[in-house]
Amino acid sequence: MRRLLSILRIREVTPLIGLIVVALFFTLRTTNFVSGMNMTAITGIAATVGIVSIGVTMLMMSGEFDLSVGQNFAFVPIVWAILFVSNGVNEWLALFIALGLGALVGVVNGLVTTVFRIPSFIATLGMYFGLQGANNLLISGHQLIMFDGSLSMTILGGQIGNSPFSMPLLWLLVIAVIFWFISTRLAYGNWTLATGGDAGPAKAMGVPTVRVKRINFVVSSFLAGLAGCMQFAYLRGVTQAQGDKYELLAITAAVLGGTSLFGGSGTIWGSVLGALILSSIQIGLVLIGVPGSFYVTFIGVMLVVVVIANTRIDRLTEGTR
Amino acid sequence: MSVEITEVAAEVTIEPVNRTGVPVFELDHVSHSYGRNKVIFDVNLAVWPGEVVGLVGDNGAGKSTLLKIFAGYQKPTGGQLKFMGKPVSFKSPAAARALGIEAVYQDLAMVNQLNLWRNFYLGKELKKRFGPVAVMDRKAMRKATVDALAELGLTRIRSADDPVWALSGGERQSVAITRANHFGAKLLLLDEPTAALSVRETRNVLQSIRHARSQGLGIMYIDHNMNHVIPVADRIVLLEHGRIVRIIDRGEVGVEELQELIAMRRQITV
Repeated sequence: MRRLLSILRIREVTPLIGLIVVALFFTLRTTNFVSGMNMTAITGIAATVGIVSIGVTMLMMSGEFDLSVGQNFAFVPIVWAILFVSNGVNEWLALFIALGLGALVGVVNGLVTTVFRIPSFIATLGMYFGLQGANNLLISGHQLIMFDGSLSMTILGGQIGNSPFSMPLLWLLVIAVIFWFISTRLAYGNWTLATGGDAGPAKAMGVPTVRVKRINFVVSSFLAGLAGCMQFAYLRGVTQAQGDKYELLAITAAVLGGTSLFGGSGTIWGSVLGALILSSIQIGLVLIGVPGSFYVTFIGVMLVVVVIANTRIDRLTEGTR
Repeated sequence: MSVEITEVAAEVTIEPVNRTGVPVFELDHVSHSYGRNKVIFDVNLAVWPGEVVGLVGDNGAGKSTLLKIFAGYQKPTGGQLKFMGKPVSFKSPAAARALGIEAVYQDLAMVNQLNLWRNFYLGKELKKRFGPVAVMDRKAMRKATVDALAELGLTRIRSADDPVWALSGGERQSVAITRANHFGAKLLLLDEPTAALSVRETRNVLQSIRHARSQGLGIMYIDHNMNHVIPVADRIVLLEHGRIVRIIDRGEVGVEELQELIAMRRQITV
């Protein structure tokens, strides 16, 4: 029993079991869940949600939230597309400028939160509305389409050979490895967890807690923008509705993956698994004929159930951690 | 209670403090305000190497604020800090720590969510090269943590990956003091290290303070319990309403008298 409990303490085990259960359920209830087309769809959604969720996870580990990622997910590719598709700016320069603006959103989020000492929930909610307005101003309901994929778009969103998978999935794995390394092998990872766990002692021990938070705000915004560009490159088009609800999906994926809502704990791979769970459910529900709008309801219920379950598991395994 | 003191005091002969050299740390006419609320008034105070200074006073006397100024946690609004005779100004606790000032706070000693080795090395992680980047040397940190704790007698600890919240209050304080010692501190700041500890744990903590003193560390020490201050302190600084009202040398007063001094300040104020 003790050994079983200590296995449950590995944060990635619970979401892995969750993913297996979800996959098994839909495999048994449908005839085509494990088909190439479905894998394309599931990994396509999981890739971008997952990348956004990795940034959000870093930020949540340091004890803050970012509700602006969904809007940034549209804002950055819109800027990129306007510069490069509509105005003929060099595609790489345009991408650099767009990602830079996306990162700047994180700088502002971090400064507003730490300088004025307000909840990041509010600071980034303000940014959410601000970016929504900006997106509306920039493309006012239109769709920006790129018919011929350029080199940068192929690298960010093209198909991988003849496989059913596309580049965002590969990027998800690369980014996950990078941030797994940062969060578990670098002192910065230790500082991030300490900052979110209890900023007082962390600061007393010399951890630059404010700087850690600001950096993670930028990480969160940058990854959201980057994932948005991948989505644009993958779909060859962008509307201002891109990334709708992504802020909540990213947080949900992180929580499903075992990241604490109160900071101080979380894992990158957990969030990747969380994103896979979300996208499997989204596609699976469509396959068994549930109305598409039911998906969000289902996710909402599951989020609450998982948080309750995690709290229970934490109590059960106290002392074996 | 007095039995305990004589017992502890009898254990070692205490070398007198050599105050001819340069103090480790000095406050020169330091004052501090939180907004409009002035809490420290014109304090002059020095701590020499190998000296334990006990800081006593009633709640709200400014003891913790003074300690936080020493630690770089609060920047004083007036006056000058001097470290080893040189004027310093700390932007952050990290700057103070870099000079060898280690603080152990009553409520800020450890991050609950992190395990032992992560806490022990927090902010001063051991690193090794991994290609172009410096990664944490987790193996070395785990080993050193377990060794340091074994030396402390914390045999209950099974692994350096144990969570900190499994430790008792005394164990946390001892770990924190050991940690400070471990990092070669010159000045050790302790905020009520014996609060809510058992007799045995208190003894261990007081012993680690003495050990640190014998290594030549300057120690600044806040405690509410006079039984714990008198046996270890070379000087006792009595603080009231943000002012030093009296500095008492070792052996000058007994426990009862000191308690009277703190409680009855108003009647003997000059």
